[in-house]
Amino acid sequence: MLQAALSRLLSSLLVIVGSLALVFCIFYLLPGDPVLSMVDPTSVSPEVIENLRQQLGLDRPFHERLLTYFGDMLTGDFGRSLVGSDPVLPKILAQVPSTLLLTAASALVAVAVGVTLGVLSAVRKGGIIDLIARIVGLFGISMPTFWSGILLILIFSVQLGWLPSMGSDGWRTLILPALALGFVGAGSIVRMVRGSMLDVLNEPFITTLRAKGLRERAVQYKHALRSALIPAVTLIGMQIGDMLAGTVIIETVFSRQGIGRILADAIMAKDLPVVQGIVFFTAIVYVGINLLVDLSYAAIDPRIRRKGAKS
Amino acid sequence: MYGDTTDKSLSKASIGRKRFNWSYAFGALALALTTALAGCGPADGGKSAQAASGTTAASAPVQGGELTYALATSPDTLDPRRSGLAVSVRVFGALYDTLLIRSADGSLGPSLATEWKASDDGLSYTLKLRDDVKFQDGTPFDAEAVKFNFDSIIDPETKAANALALLRPYKSSEVVDEHTIKLNLEKPSEAFLGNLSQGMLSIVSPTAAKKEGEDFGKHPVGTGPFKFASWTENADIKLERNPDYAWGSAEASNAGAAYLDALTFKIVPEEATRIGGVQSGQVLAAETVPPQNVVALKNDPNAQLLQTNTIGFPYTLFFNLEHKPWNELKARQAVQYAVDIDSIVKTLYLGTYEQAWSSITPGILGYDESLEGKIKPDVAKANALLDELGWVKGADGIRVKDGQKLTLHYVDGSPNREKRNDIAAMIREQLKAVGIETEVEITQDVATVVYQNWDYDLYGNSQVNSDPNGLVSFYHSTKEGERRTLSGLSDPQVDEWLDQGATEKDEAKRAELYKKVQQYISDQALILPVYVFPYTVAAGKSVQGLKFDPFGYPIFNDVYLQK
Amino acid sequence: MKNSATSAEPAARGAWLGRLAGRSRKSAYAAGRQAVSRRRFGSADLLTVLAGLAVSFLAACALLPGWIAPYSPTEMNTAAILQGPSSAHLFGTDYFGRDVFSLVVYGTRDSLLIGVSSVIVGVLLGGTLGSLAGYVGGRLDAAIMRIMDVLLTIPGILLALTIAAALGPGLRNIVLAIAISSVPGYARVMRGQIMAIRGRGYVFASRALGTKPSDVLLRHVLPNSAAPLLVMATLGLGSSILAGAGLSFLGLGVLKEIPDWGALLSQGRGYLTVAWWICTFPGLTITLFVLSVNLIGDRWRDAVDPKRKGR
Repeated sequence: MLQAALSRLLSSLLVIVGSLALVFCIFYLLPGDPVLSMVDPTSVSPEVIENLRQQLGLDRPFHERLLTYFGDMLTGDFGRSLVGSDPVLPKILAQVPSTLLLTAASALVAVAVGVTLGVLSAVRKGGIIDLIARIVGLFGISMPTFWSGILLILIFSVQLGWLPSMGSDGWRTLILPALALGFVGAGSIVRMVRGSMLDVLNEPFITTLRAKGLRERAVQYKHALRSALIPAVTLIGMQIGDMLAGTVIIETVFSRQGIGRILADAIMAKDLPVVQGIVFFTAIVYVGINLLVDLSYAAIDPRIRRKGAKS
Repeated sequence: MYGDTTDKSLSKASIGRKRFNWSYAFGALALALTTALAGCGPADGGKSAQAASGTTAASAPVQGGELTYALATSPDTLDPRRSGLAVSVRVFGALYDTLLIRSADGSLGPSLATEWKASDDGLSYTLKLRDDVKFQDGTPFDAEAVKFNFDSIIDPETKAANALALLRPYKSSEVVDEHTIKLNLEKPSEAFLGNLSQGMLSIVSPTAAKKEGEDFGKHPVGTGPFKFASWTENADIKLERNPDYAWGSAEASNAGAAYLDALTFKIVPEEATRIGGVQSGQVLAAETVPPQNVVALKNDPNAQLLQTNTIGFPYTLFFNLEHKPWNELKARQAVQYAVDIDSIVKTLYLGTYEQAWSSITPGILGYDESLEGKIKPDVAKANALLDELGWVKGADGIRVKDGQKLTLHYVDGSPNREKRNDIAAMIREQLKAVGIETEVEITQDVATVVYQNWDYDLYGNSQVNSDPNGLVSFYHSTKEGERRTLSGLSDPQVDEWLDQGATEKDEAKRAELYKKVQQYISDQALILPVYVFPYTVAAGKSVQGLKFDPFGYPIFNDVYLQK
Repeated sequence: MKNSATSAEPAARGAWLGRLAGRSRKSAYAAGRQAVSRRRFGSADLLTVLAGLAVSFLAACALLPGWIAPYSPTEMNTAAILQGPSSAHLFGTDYFGRDVFSLVVYGTRDSLLIGVSSVIVGVLLGGTLGSLAGYVGGRLDAAIMRIMDVLLTIPGILLALTIAAALGPGLRNIVLAIAISSVPGYARVMRGQIMAIRGRGYVFASRALGTKPSDVLLRHVLPNSAAPLLVMATLGLGSSILAGAGLSFLGLGVLKEIPDWGALLSQGRGYLTVAWWICTFPGLTITLFVLSVNLIGDRWRDAVDPKRKGR
């Protein structure tokens, strides 16, 4: 068991180091000079640009830069942003809470909407409610998020004036972005819950409960739903990764603080230290979530646990 | 003719607005359910803060309140010496002062410096400084402070770039007495004084700059009417009133401390969110209003639209003279005649932008009005010129010579700033009509494509500037080892005019020189001037006294919020 | 059907892997494992038929736009800009005075091209890697899956931007960017399938009979594992088009003479309050297409479900 945990840890570490190294290589190979995009190239002289390159260490050879980077990282120094020269770690950490909050709120929306619609459509299988629930669920994954986001702003913020459309202060600013992002996740949860719920409703234990004379409502909502939720929750765990990726667009549309926006800006500016810091963060989140998923995965299904131990 | 188009489109626009709710209904259908499920009942009115105020009757300024101002992009740093972005300068105006200011009429005026005098050889300037100014950290403003600022800009350790380009040919400073400084130049420069009015040469507190080092950009200290409070990245930059302020320049009518208690910049990149923020009262002002919203905002009872044309070099498309066949005058002229800038500007900007006619904008010394309306689109002429050059239309309508298609590689940046990508799309259509195939390349890495690989036939650029001397960086020939210019022009005659213009002290003669340059540029069809950029701000009705300097940077000292 | 637990065991594992690995809507066997219901079949099939019709119409638009569109998509009538829908212009005109309906019709080709080709590239790459990992197992499996992990930790937008920066802008690179970020998903599902089928009786049997390993893979394992991957690919069509739209929003799209739907939607979004038709119709077309493809994919998944087949 300990050995398994250790090897798991090692491979996680490998993934993180691998991602950082890959990003570093990609940026090294990219054409272009980050300094040129930081200044006005029509008026700033080549010597000044050369000086900037030297000051930022961009003129040093590849292996030297890579080694320095990993060396500094071990001491907790993630370098300074090329743009505005602020230290990377605090810069990113300041954005993390906002992004995590948005992701959590979106997951909440996804679960609330997805489970409700999924259960409704399973219980009213074949009826008009089923049809509507499925289509509404699909709508969420059929609209580009920037479009639904802007529509939400125009309706609820500009026209009705109910909710703020921008910023990251307070729970009210969270509602519209969480709706826009959560609805995307809801689509697949509807499917998942509907499927598992229908499965469970055919299980022998449900038949037994029915035979015992339990009311249909109790059977459906108390027993069947509980069993059907487990795989849905697992799926949500997986989707958090997707949602983190979705924040790039949502944070821009709703001008929220967050990792996604910092990343987009940093990529455009070829700001490698910041990009590296964010990749480090996403890699840790990814590895962590996968670990959790695998754990729950084994816990839920004994068959998998048995087989998994073998391979 | 054009009037018709606008009127039609405007009335359509208003119809569109009425029908608008229908379109929302589609999206709302899917979304309304979510709202209900997420359990957010009707929230308390967020709009109430924006009480309808009366008209803009001139009343006594009101003390207090906070102005929230939405910027389209984020400043890179609040250290003017290290910044490379115009958006940062919008904030600098509140935090800092410059030595001189550029008045609305284009002349130079006093600010932190009260008097200035050039030496006879033009190699040094002596400036008298105000003796009643303090930085927000209590450091007195004096000649030493100015010396520190300028010396630190030319110090490579500081990593200054744009500020350095403006300060050149500065060499050194001599502190004559506590409030007198002599600035020495490497060579005479008529643009030097004017550049001292630019925000990137704002004066920072030497004490704070030494203490904070590289972090000064996140903890700025200046002499301006507002002092720094906090900067939360991608959220807001908060400034507070500087109660000691008493040295406002003549540009603001209020020379004393600001009326506002606080000034908060918010970073709101998405247009719809930014403009919608003003309409819903979440911010009191928002910059860069898209033309299509200008019209709607003008009719909005809860909002006002402020607009000012910026001076400098207009948005201009440069031919790359080092690329064939665009090194030939007739080929460039053909494009000049084939492209209908008037139609482009009116279609895309709906009458809110002015067409540019020359390589510099009105308001810059020597602007040549005679170029206005001089070149009119003429497809027949364009065709004739291309025929003359031996380009023959092929089966697909594209001209061919020696088996080569006549193509124009048009590079533009992404995102689509000021609808520049749309200009490219229209030019592509217009050039198709005369048999030129335009390959439009939209890149998010202009720096590499244009300034490193010089891989373009046509590329557009604009620059806010105070002096025609800036033409040097676009049209002067360059020596081996220097970076080439966007045009790649190399003409000794132009070099001579530009060199003389840099040092000529007689303003009339100087203006004459730059007129010659402008005429040459136009006659040689080196560029296609497109539009003069207006800085636009949408603001709530309560916002009063917001003005802009000639560069389009806001002046916040006079702003007050009418109750 | 559901009760045949013994034969369901390996399939259940495959399904689980599919659910987990597929992440979100890509999950292969996620839903619809319920007993056949005539009523549900009725409404579902009607919906599928409608979806099929929609997709066929759009395919026709892609193949023969000139027959369907009333105007040239590039014609700029500057005397008639920003006009609302009318009999002359069904979807109105845009800010250039182009006919929005014709633009949508002509834009279908590139939109579908982005969807189809990125899915093909993704499925081929992901399928191959997943098969190798699943069939060979051991170190190769570990190596491939770690590489997939590394790819998953790097945000998709980062991949897209770097690919565009390295190869220059263009449709091809958008396709590559979308394809590469979808590879890990396909690889995981394929691997899960192969591992599940590898253990089946008939595979053992044919091995015992002395069939060459490559023949076993090609004749027995692959054909039996491909179905979920194909279903996932169908659903992937929709997400690729949405991903393409997202890239357009971030300014990474291609400015072609005839824009794809995502570009139309993204470019028109600034006009939503003054000329809603410019982006609403392309947006609805995207939604219609993705919705239809999802409905067809769902239906197909039900059909290939091993339990449905009564295996």
